[in-house]
Amino acid sequence: MKSVRLGIIGLGYIGQIHLRHGLRLGNTEVTAVADISAKELNKARNAGVKTVFKNYEDLLKNPSVDAVVIALPTHLHLQCAIQAAEAKKHIFLEKPIARNVQEANEIVSAARKNSVRLMIGYPLRFNKEFRSLKREISNGTLGDIEIAQGTYISAGPFFHRAEGYAPVPVPEWWFSKELTGGGALIDLGSHIINLLQWYFGEIIGIKSCLGYRFNLDFEDSATCLLKFKCGTRAVVNVGWFLQGYQLKVEMYGTVGQAVREHKPGGRPKTAVQMLTRGYSDFHKPHFDELQYFADCLAHDISPSPSGEEGLEDLKVISIAYHNEMFPKP
Amino acid sequence: MSLVSLTKIRSASQNSMKRAISESLGLIDYSFKNKVINIVIKANLCYYWDYSTGQTTDPKFVAALIDLIRERVSTNTDISIVESDASAMKCKHVFRMLGYEQLAKDYNVKLVNLSEDSCEIIQVTAGKQSFSLPVAKTILQADLKINVPKIKYTMDPIKLTCALKNIFGCIPFPRKFRYHPRLGEAIVAANKAMPFDLCVIDGNIVSGVQPRRLGFVMASRDPVAIDAAAAKIAGLNPNRIKYIQLAQQEGLGTTHCVEKGLPLHYFEKSYPRKNLEKKLMGSAYKGILRLKLGQKMGLE
Repeated sequence: MKSVRLGIIGLGYIGQIHLRHGLRLGNTEVTAVADISAKELNKARNAGVKTVFKNYEDLLKNPSVDAVVIALPTHLHLQCAIQAAEAKKHIFLEKPIARNVQEANEIVSAARKNSVRLMIGYPLRFNKEFRSLKREISNGTLGDIEIAQGTYISAGPFFHRAEGYAPVPVPEWWFSKELTGGGALIDLGSHIINLLQWYFGEIIGIKSCLGYRFNLDFEDSATCLLKFKCGTRAVVNVGWFLQGYQLKVEMYGTVGQAVREHKPGGRPKTAVQMLTRGYSDFHKPHFDELQYFADCLAHDISPSPSGEEGLEDLKVISIAYHNEMFPKP
Repeated sequence: MSLVSLTKIRSASQNSMKRAISESLGLIDYSFKNKVINIVIKANLCYYWDYSTGQTTDPKFVAALIDLIRERVSTNTDISIVESDASAMKCKHVFRMLGYEQLAKDYNVKLVNLSEDSCEIIQVTAGKQSFSLPVAKTILQADLKINVPKIKYTMDPIKLTCALKNIFGCIPFPRKFRYHPRLGEAIVAANKAMPFDLCVIDGNIVSGVQPRRLGFVMASRDPVAIDAAAAKIAGLNPNRIKYIQLAQQEGLGTTHCVEKGLPLHYFEKSYPRKNLEKKLMGSAYKGILRLKLGQKMGLE
């Protein structure tokens, strides 16, 4: 497969980012999109997508689609991913892989059974700062990492600064534990846990402390303590309470320490980047992960983060939910 | 001339808030009538931002007010806290997320989503505009209506959100942007259709270019006077805010107020005001919207 013909399913916040990037990838053509919103489909058509569908099942039947990006709410991942696998479409599935371990297992099995590639969308793995940290850990320049800390705190689905732009509605599914599978830990924590497992390997001990500031059915913040088989201990802090953005990884080793951040750029710089190349530094990891996925398909290579990695992350999160140190009364 | 009081909240505790509210009401010679049965409190619940952002009324502040009402009027008074759905916010979530569901349970008060209440249409004019505004039964049937707003900056030409603008939030239509082309007039019309009896500003945390704990209460019977005073604290000239001027012309109150308690300048200097950079960024953003560059720049 030289050129990849991509279909994008779901044109919400992240789906639109994938569409914008997909239209700019070198070896890829976005041949179709699917969304329930006629307005978003029109926008996609105007951006140059030839075929648009209101129903993703029709997109999956389309022979001019080799692979799909699934950017749907979490509760729709299972059904859509299995149907995509059965339709022999390779899959780029947004994180978290599913709402729970059982669903994740089913998705991974379906991809295996139908011999399709499955990659999970973890853009931090394509961030140059976090990639250089991986090299430093592997090269031993920091020594043995004793303590690590990953922090990802933002406003989550309520991602507007109060003094910023006009707020937009929060999709209803975000308020339901049944539909999301959990709160800030599954939403933001999955990024950090995946990154830490990439750095340090297997996790052998998990404890959590969850926060419920906004009185939802699920946590809006979480602190997790992880013990890795290699000996490293890590603290994961995630939350939806900050009217700002903080994404940072800290490492403390026997030889040195390192702190790496993923920061939004300044507004003028971002504006210039968006107008000239179509994506900002902030979204470059999203661009690079999609490019990597297309390259893997073009060269018939298994992509990573794989479905199995997504499943492992969810297993850790599931244990964290059950190992709360101070459970909600 | 209307009385506007300004008092200091000594600490962030509910008792401290209650003392400051009580003192503020005393300064404007306000006393609750014993005959009052149904009371409506309109807090300012905006999106899902909690009280610490300065954007929404602190449930502790409302609890302090309820405590005071129950002490001064009767423990059996029916109290409803009201809000309506907005384009980007649903009451069923906001009541829960911002702590109002817990407050309702603890204080045995009702939470009313005005968007789900039955309404009566009221014809009203403001300036040269006429409006048919639906007014919820809960508001129409109340003996006492208390407006508990925040002080916030908002987009031009409105500039300031406070007492008058908070009542605009009582319009039950979720998609209130239908009024945006004539927003100033709509704010005044809403206040004419639903005149509130008392305004008590939760100034514990204010929102300017950033939130700041200033710790004050302002009270007045006159929404125009209190908005004019609030504008001064926020560094704005009330004479240059058209809807405040229109509200005065329409007889909702006067911008000329008699200050009671602390002088306004006590908080003026510490209010987080817009600096030149923020003003320029605001103008640039308006330009981007006008030129429809937002989508290309990833802003919409």
